[in-house]
Amino acid sequence: MNQLTQSSEHLGPERLNAFVDGELSSAERQGIEQHFAVCHACALRVLSVTQLKSATAHASRRFATSPEALARLTAHLNSQSLAQAQIKRPTRLFSMPSLRPLVWTALAAAVLLTVSVLGWRQLHQSNSLAAELLDQHLATLSSGVSPQVISTDRHTVKPWFQGRLPFSFNLPDTSALPEGIALKGANLTYLDGQPAALLLFTIHKHEVSVFLTQRAASSRPTALSTTRAGFTIQTAASPDLRIVAVSDVNPVELNNLVTVLVTAQSHE
Amino acid sequence: MPSVINRSAAFERLALPLFASLYNHARWLTRDEAEAEDLVQETFTKALRAFDSFQLDTNFKAWMFRILRNTFLTSRTGIAAAQTVFLEDHPAALDAAATDLSPEDVLIHLDNQAVLQTALEQLQPLLREVLLLCDVEEMKYKEIAVILDVPLGTVMSRISRARHTLRQLLQPQFGKIL
Repeated sequence: MNQLTQSSEHLGPERLNAFVDGELSSAERQGIEQHFAVCHACALRVLSVTQLKSATAHASRRFATSPEALARLTAHLNSQSLAQAQIKRPTRLFSMPSLRPLVWTALAAAVLLTVSVLGWRQLHQSNSLAAELLDQHLATLSSGVSPQVISTDRHTVKPWFQGRLPFSFNLPDTSALPEGIALKGANLTYLDGQPAALLLFTIHKHEVSVFLTQRAASSRPTALSTTRAGFTIQTAASPDLRIVAVSDVNPVELNNLVTVLVTAQSHE
Repeated sequence: MPSVINRSAAFERLALPLFASLYNHARWLTRDEAEAEDLVQETFTKALRAFDSFQLDTNFKAWMFRILRNTFLTSRTGIAAAQTVFLEDHPAALDAAATDLSPEDVLIHLDNQAVLQTALEQLQPLLREVLLLCDVEEMKYKEIAVILDVPLGTVMSRISRARHTLRQLLQPQFGKIL
């Protein structure tokens, strides 16, 4: 009866964390992944640590720099490198015209850097947002977690959010949903630091998480679709809302659901 | 003179994109806006001066964070912080973490940023620091070991303890949701 093979040993906390942080060799990872197949507890612990890790990353990135602070820093650095340059070169060569190229170079570099920092940040943000979406979707899949509202009726689900969210949204009538799609329930959640409605649907047997957040008037309406770890992440926008759906169902059916949800926003 | 300018341009190209990360980290270390900016500025100054000794094949980001940390530790706030006693990777604490698995088994809804930020503030600075480097800066354990100047094993146990403690701090807030 004793089945204490390697794959039945529980993960110690350090190995568990090292696994989540991607610090283990592929052989070690494989062993652990085999263990997950037979040990629900450890799989749940990994999910739990992954969630905590991504939430920590999100909550800790809270102190933003100002353009003024960057300007102060570059000015400071320029004065530093100028001082160094002056030490190294003979004073008789020092004249204003020779300074100009340096100033222009510094200015151009600062502009380029600002642009590249912004671009990098955008890329980084969209990546971490995808990870967050996936984490939240996976959390809804784990058994035992039931949604805060369990209802297939839009007349129950929609009012539940009133007073809980700073915005409202419309839900399509059951008859308006494409065949095979059903509403299961809803949760209140946070996405990218914003309160969000999390609607849980099923398309045939596939679970779908749909996140609704308020859309800033200034943000561009983007409709895009990406895949990550076998899941499709589809983004759409109505005039007031950003709608993001995550599922492992085929992208066409997911898109059908997203389209119905976008259309529903223009009613009433 | 051109070599000096090229060198500082090369430095800025590598270093300025790290400004936001270094500043965020400095804020967590100093807990003060002005002090954080001074700390980052001093870090850049020191790094620029020492840039000649930087080896291009080593990790620049880790190098910058190491300078940031060492600069902080020699500052007034840093010296005061270092004097608060830290239970350096106590084996007993680790044993407790190994046997007391229940908090790990609980999936929590981390949907409240403010609650998580409060918990992070309550975390011991040395534990918070390691989590920031790992989760926010996405550094490898090896790089963190270089920045903190500790063995790899210490990084591993600190990360494990940090998450365990963080979860315990979050526990009363959420209760058992599962």
